[in-house]
Amino acid sequence: MQVLTRGVTHLVVSQVVSEGGVPVASTLTTDLVSGRTSLGEPQQRRLGQGAAVVSLDLPQAPVTCLDFWCRAGSAAETPAESGLAHFLEHMVFKGSERLGAGEFDLRVEALGGSSNAATGFDDVHYHVLVPPSAAAEAIDLLLDLVLAPRLDGQDFDMERQVVLEELAQSEDQPEEVAFQQLLSRACPGHAYGQPILGRRQALEGHRAGAMAAFHERLYRADNCCLAVAGPLGDGAIWEHLENSALASLARSDQPLSADSGPSSLQLHPGSDTVALPRLEAARLLMAWQVPAAGDLEAVIGCDLLTTLLAEGRRSRLVARLREQLRLVESIDLDLNGLEAGSLVLLEAVCESEHLPAVEAEIKRVIQELIAAPPPLAEVERAKRLVGNGYRFGLESAGSVAGLLGNNHLWGRHQPIQAPLDALAHWDPQRLWHELTPLLDPERAFCLRALPA
Amino acid sequence: MSVLTSSAGPTASAGSLGGPRSRSVVPGGCPLWVVPRPGPEIVSAKLWIRGGSSSDPRGQRGSHQLLAGLLSRGCGDHSGEALADQVEGLGAGLRCEASEDGLLISLKCAAADASQLLPLLLTLVQKPWLLHDQIDLERQLNLQALQRHREDPFQLAHDSLRQQLYGDGPYGHDPLGVEAELAAIARDGLSQQATQLGRQGAVLVLAGQPPANLEELLTREIGPGGWPTQAPLANPSWAPTHQPGSPCQRLAYNEEDTEQLVLMLGAATVPLGHRQGLALRLLHCHLGVGMSSRLFVTMREEHGLAYDVGVHHPARLGAAPFVFHLSSSAERAFQATNELLNEWQRLLEQPLTGDELALARAKFRGQEAMGRQTGSQVADRLALVLGHGLPADFTDRCLGELDRLEPADLLAAARELLASPSLSLCGPALALAEAEKAWQQHPLSA
Repeated sequence: MQVLTRGVTHLVVSQVVSEGGVPVASTLTTDLVSGRTSLGEPQQRRLGQGAAVVSLDLPQAPVTCLDFWCRAGSAAETPAESGLAHFLEHMVFKGSERLGAGEFDLRVEALGGSSNAATGFDDVHYHVLVPPSAAAEAIDLLLDLVLAPRLDGQDFDMERQVVLEELAQSEDQPEEVAFQQLLSRACPGHAYGQPILGRRQALEGHRAGAMAAFHERLYRADNCCLAVAGPLGDGAIWEHLENSALASLARSDQPLSADSGPSSLQLHPGSDTVALPRLEAARLLMAWQVPAAGDLEAVIGCDLLTTLLAEGRRSRLVARLREQLRLVESIDLDLNGLEAGSLVLLEAVCESEHLPAVEAEIKRVIQELIAAPPPLAEVERAKRLVGNGYRFGLESAGSVAGLLGNNHLWGRHQPIQAPLDALAHWDPQRLWHELTPLLDPERAFCLRALPA
Repeated sequence: MSVLTSSAGPTASAGSLGGPRSRSVVPGGCPLWVVPRPGPEIVSAKLWIRGGSSSDPRGQRGSHQLLAGLLSRGCGDHSGEALADQVEGLGAGLRCEASEDGLLISLKCAAADASQLLPLLLTLVQKPWLLHDQIDLERQLNLQALQRHREDPFQLAHDSLRQQLYGDGPYGHDPLGVEAELAAIARDGLSQQATQLGRQGAVLVLAGQPPANLEELLTREIGPGGWPTQAPLANPSWAPTHQPGSPCQRLAYNEEDTEQLVLMLGAATVPLGHRQGLALRLLHCHLGVGMSSRLFVTMREEHGLAYDVGVHHPARLGAAPFVFHLSSSAERAFQATNELLNEWQRLLEQPLTGDELALARAKFRGQEAMGRQTGSQVADRLALVLGHGLPADFTDRCLGELDRLEPADLLAAARELLASPSLSLCGPALALAEAEKAWQQHPLSA
């Protein structure tokens, strides 16, 4: 939920499954004995004035994915720029000096490819899937679009309508409204508490010139990373990149410090109750702050904890609240890796009259975890689920490029294997000692949303 | 016939989209297809069983989804908890769900764990426990899900459209069911349904790096006689069952206090394997696939009327819906409705240009390639085709036929199948009134 995409969202029609049963693994696996993935290692280089490129050769992949990442998410906006990062992501596809509106989409799709883009709090990325033979051409098209957008005033006014429609659409989903209210209360004064889509009033007032300034300030060599995953063949692609627009991209006027990025997060614990129109079932939402995405080992440890608590029928929260006490329709706990401080977000869906019991029971389950180290078998189960989730996610070029691009954008030049190695460093005692205290309900913001 | 020969020769050329694959038969009659894939050491299994929510018995709508949810809540020698412990303990994923036309059981696991998990697949379908206590739980979860879906204006509009297109017919309800009927389904009915699983055919597809002794693994828990079923037959007795209503039935409303008006405009068409199915799928590519698609460009890029606009046209054994969907600000309800209707009208009047058709073909080919990036995707697509009783090389054949379809063929298909669409709306009262005005003034409502 932290990311908004430009794309055509496909209509999902009641594919409600008896989820929660046994998890559908979200994402890689190996045998945990060797714990290796079958992939090679990424190659990374810096071009020209410092733009990063990272690639991974996937000789068997049917497509190549190009994924351009930039540290220009909503957290890079000034208050007056509310919503501009995401609005710019839309405008980029309106063309450049060389590419007319829609021409990029047409050329990529005529090759049988596809493209999309997404804006988050920390970063934005633009990705293209094309047949491997078209990778070089697609690189040129993508870089032209992203680095030299035309930002025409008339297109700007039309696309503003589209962004306002996107905002209205999200406002019509009461669940999304509830999450936004949770974040605004848990992260006051921080970008993570502000909507990525922006405030309506700010969106109505934006001008193309301000967007051009935003682009000029942030889309710089030291702020960008291009990831390429697919069959790379003889490496001719590197020569191509050396002569691309990315190689001549200038660095920032004010050099970034090594740890530049969103200002550090300080989540405000507390609780509140809201009544929301059109809500049919009550929600209990909670947010905790945990270590930032840069602390890989801690993030993996948190992933183990959230899995132990809420992934699958035998996880503690699902087993207690849904299977045993039957208080909730569903309960989810997601770890959102973020640069200024990651967020663990909980959502329980229940009948309004059960809400107090749901809240009390969730807190009890977490307190039980804080009171005593988890049994080894429970941690091993979580390691299997997290490890397989990661390995399953490396099966497609798109997800590999996304993973590499995001990590390298933020200076995490780690082997593919790193998360699996980090998993092995956790045991029940250490998880309990170092990480369970972070999930203390006293450290969370808790929002009860009731049907109005 | 019940001999499983996993070394049977490849039945498709190595150059086909699915890559090399082999076919054998599990004792009892279930076809087993194996698609070996190099790379990650994973096994993805899809067991597709004919008979989904469209086969829900009268008065028991929701029973197939309820049954699907119960399969993993106890079977054979495994309690629901023991089963979950085993699957989750190996970090695997197991999912049982009902769609309109079938039940789908999906398993994904590390190749090294496949020998421990594959024996469960047929136990799930042959020996489910169906405990009263678990029926109550699963039923309650489905009822709550139905309730929560009413928060989504798209869901509301879609539910109404389903009624308009299919009435009380097989596709007339959400696979989750109808609340009053779901609440009353008894164990006897479920148990009866469970004994019928597979009688209309089933197919098992494994992609990735499965173990060699598949016959032994798959029958380990159910006995050497296996599971009585057979390959699904092609669309047994398909005929259009529901006629489009009069114009007033062709317009449906849901009044909701929302910012936007949701519009769904659709018609019931033909099954996946129908002679005109490919023409419709090409129209789908033309209108709704990608950012260069006709609806995206006109409704969003040129008019700025929507963020979300597209086409919904799932593969079905029966009369598949073909639906335009869009959501637009309440203030622009008239314009949005009118433009969307114009786009549909255009389908009935103008043939695609040569360039448009070429682009639609490229998208069709591209989608087939992109949709085969993971073992699950490969298994899923093959199981769907085989589950519909179509040949394994159905997709390759479609790709071969693409170039033979001309703009006139697409226009003919549109005129035959899309002539009389229904419109379903969800939004605030004023917007509904504006949309209704646009509908009444438009030739399509005649």
